[in-house]
Amino acid sequence: MNIRNDVVQADIGLLLEGTFPYVRGGVSSWVYQIIRGFPDLTFAVCFLGSREEDYGEMKYELPANVVHMEQHYLHEKGSAPSAAECPDNKEAFEVVRALHDWYGEKKLNLENQYLGRIVELDRIGRYGEKDFLYSRESWNYITELYRKNCTDPSLIDYFWTVRTMHAPLWKLMNIAVNFVPCGAYHTICTGYAGFLGALLKKGRDKPLILSEHGIYTKERKIDLFQAEWISDTRGELEKGTSEVAYFRELWVRFFETLGRECYDAADRIISLYEANRLRQVSDGAAAEKTRSIPNGIDFSHLDKLRSKRPHEIPLVVCLIGRVVPIKDVKTFIRAMRTVVNAMPGVEAWIAGPEEEDPAYARECRSLAEGLGDSVRFLGFQRIDDILPKIGLLALSSISEALPLVILEGYAAGVPCVATDVGSCRQLIEGGSAEDIALGAAGIVVGIANPEELAAAIIRLLSDSALWQSAQKAGVERVKKYYTQESMFAQYRAVYEQALTATSAVNTPPAAEKGRCVWQV
Amino acid sequence: MAGIGFELRKLMERGTVIGMIQAYTYAGIISSGPWVLSIIGILVIGALSIGETSADSMVAQFQVSVTYIIACSLIFTGFVQLAFTRFTADRIFENENDIILPAFNGLLLIITLAAGLAGGVFSVMLFPGQSILYRALLAGGFVIMCNIWVAAIFLSGMKQYKSIVTVFALGYGVSIFLAVYLRKSDLEGIFGGFLSGQLALLLGLIILINLEYPSEKLFDFSFIRKIRLYPSLVFIGFFYNFGVWIDKFIFWGDSYTSTQVIGPLRASPIYDIPVFLAYLSIIPGMAVFLVRLETDFVEYYEKFYEAIRSGRSLDHIEDMRNAMVSTLRQGVLQIVSVQMVVVAAVVMTGSSILKYLGISDLYFPLLCVNVISAAIQVVFLGVLTIFFYLDKRGTALILTIMFASLNAMFTLATLEFGPKFYGFGFAASLLVVVAVGFWMLDRRLDALEYETFMLQ
Repeated sequence: MNIRNDVVQADIGLLLEGTFPYVRGGVSSWVYQIIRGFPDLTFAVCFLGSREEDYGEMKYELPANVVHMEQHYLHEKGSAPSAAECPDNKEAFEVVRALHDWYGEKKLNLENQYLGRIVELDRIGRYGEKDFLYSRESWNYITELYRKNCTDPSLIDYFWTVRTMHAPLWKLMNIAVNFVPCGAYHTICTGYAGFLGALLKKGRDKPLILSEHGIYTKERKIDLFQAEWISDTRGELEKGTSEVAYFRELWVRFFETLGRECYDAADRIISLYEANRLRQVSDGAAAEKTRSIPNGIDFSHLDKLRSKRPHEIPLVVCLIGRVVPIKDVKTFIRAMRTVVNAMPGVEAWIAGPEEEDPAYARECRSLAEGLGDSVRFLGFQRIDDILPKIGLLALSSISEALPLVILEGYAAGVPCVATDVGSCRQLIEGGSAEDIALGAAGIVVGIANPEELAAAIIRLLSDSALWQSAQKAGVERVKKYYTQESMFAQYRAVYEQALTATSAVNTPPAAEKGRCVWQV
Repeated sequence: MAGIGFELRKLMERGTVIGMIQAYTYAGIISSGPWVLSIIGILVIGALSIGETSADSMVAQFQVSVTYIIACSLIFTGFVQLAFTRFTADRIFENENDIILPAFNGLLLIITLAAGLAGGVFSVMLFPGQSILYRALLAGGFVIMCNIWVAAIFLSGMKQYKSIVTVFALGYGVSIFLAVYLRKSDLEGIFGGFLSGQLALLLGLIILINLEYPSEKLFDFSFIRKIRLYPSLVFIGFFYNFGVWIDKFIFWGDSYTSTQVIGPLRASPIYDIPVFLAYLSIIPGMAVFLVRLETDFVEYYEKFYEAIRSGRSLDHIEDMRNAMVSTLRQGVLQIVSVQMVVVAAVVMTGSSILKYLGISDLYFPLLCVNVISAAIQVVFLGVLTIFFYLDKRGTALILTIMFASLNAMFTLATLEFGPKFYGFGFAASLLVVVAVGFWMLDRRLDALEYETFMLQ
């Protein structure tokens, strides 16, 4: 494991939350691709994770142009300053109040200087974590907000929710002070990494680029509604659902706020596709800073895989992705029941790591038991090996951004059946009129609908003319719109502009798509 | 004070006058501590002996000897009293009742050895002119008294309050009876008689404690390690007792106010008698203090922390805090009003008491000052106890150190100013620390939620 920290500066500071190089996934591959795509630039990587034990070895070899790498675990117990009453600090808390008032207003004020002032106060030692944790002013402000806003009666729950929420922010403040100097900072999501980007921007006045693959805040919301970790000191039976709801809402607003700070601080806000760009704007990103740059794949490499394909269409439907609830693997397995009944001999493969959510993976396996050998769990597979062997790619996700695997499948000659999430419809049916004219590269189905998914799979696998035309449309679409050459060219422009500008940039945007989560 | 609240509440809840009287009587006995009773004992023995024995000086020698034993043993055991109380309370809280008795036995053993050694050395070295029996009684008495104070720690925690009252009655009955019966012989007789009663009291207490706490081990010394976790309590106990006695020692040491009584022991009759009489007056205040603190205050104290733990609203938590503060205020007010009555009674009857005891009426003002001081001392004890509840041992330590040093300074100053000012040193030092204590308490209680949430 080569962690380099011998350098004093880099061109681009990459701020990565729960992704490259410790976690496999779409965003990680994309980051890996970008780093290798700019061998002439140096990168400093700052990895943010939850707790160290949540991650194993690095999953990617660090390319040579990563000149610095550091990792921080935000949900680990840090060494907080020891408890002691600290002197009153009225002026700092006026800034804190102004900052939170600004967060409370829904409209984005471009003149938000409060976070910058907090960073400055922290730097000169006038306001720090100990003030937040131990001062009278802080207590007064917390109880004031509790009285004003909290609909859950429990003070202790509110108090600890607030503390838990802020703890990582102080770590980020610290990271922002000590990170190696870079020409520009590039965060691949909002959230904690995006907030770190905002802090770096405020503290160092270097350009900040945000590339958002998914919509972080939206995905955190999904997490939050499944979460059991939300601060709760009592048994479930003791409290009504409305009470827990308040703290969920508080967490949702917290992540929204992190997002807004990042949107506010970023000089460039890049999404993967148009729908997400609009979503960013509605979440508070200034429209003139936004643009879309779609993912691109190594077409010339994948193109060669097509020659390895058997003459016949393999009767194999493959779901390539992590076995986690967001991929809704269960719907895929249920659909296969119908498929296998109608077309005996069709196989379903599930190619993706299962260690992230072992309980869910177990449930999927037991659901597949009745189907015998027709459903196979392959674990993580290299796409070069697997794409030539499959006839159809299936994606049953309940949330996606711009799944690279669809593009890779196209290039390797595999059509796709996908749910109507993220940019999937655009990828299958086309975006612009010209794009649509290329034809459909597969079939779009509704989410959580095994019957519809099964019907689409059966149609494509049983109608060879339809399959051939889908393959042709896929190859042409990916070649025309989604090559990595085109992506690199657009990012080169973004990087060059950021590195030549000392500070704020204001150039108009271009293209599409995205995603980025805690755990991609 | 673990456990007392429950018993007292049960007594109070009967709602009868008898129940209430029982509760206050019991509280009076265990809270004033056996040391007030000891003083009463020697005063009673003295009073019964007036005119009865040819040698008045012998009674004085007896009283002074016992007084020194009481003072020195209280200061000597001051180091462990609070810390061991805390240790016991913690064990009860953690349901480790079976460690308590062996730890108690262990402590008794250590105290007996240490006190025996110290008492032995002092009585051998400093009393060359006295009989061997007197010197043995002096050392033995010191050991007995030290052990009684340690045993007294358990009084408030025990459920057999009737037995406790019986043991005390028995102990003092024997003490007074034997002392009065044996006084005809000599100093050793009266001294030995008194100490036999105290020994009976000690044995009675040890038996009760052994009945109360089950254990399979005889000795256990692991408490030493635990007590060392609370160094502040060790010193609070010392400085409190030291502070309570330092003015007396100063008066005993001053050649103008004192006379040599026996061996190196000096006494200051003009100061001592009013002071000890005044201590009798605190019993009602102590009883009120214990009942108020252990029932009302503790009830809201528990509700306050329970409200936080169980996730109640800030309004509710503040209500509990306010209720707690108001029970404190009421408690202090009640102590003050009860003691006011006592002060009034002393002011009205004081001259005749002094006349009866054969003390000059000139010392009547001193008696009045001392009665007021004693009342303030009860309040001071209350303030300290509340700081213990709030786990502000640092503050309690500061207050006791302040008390000890102010009492020494002010008392020395009053010696300079003359007899009119005697007693004012003690009173002034108490007044200052109680005022400071209230001020600190006020700030603590004001910031109670803040400190509970933010600083723990």
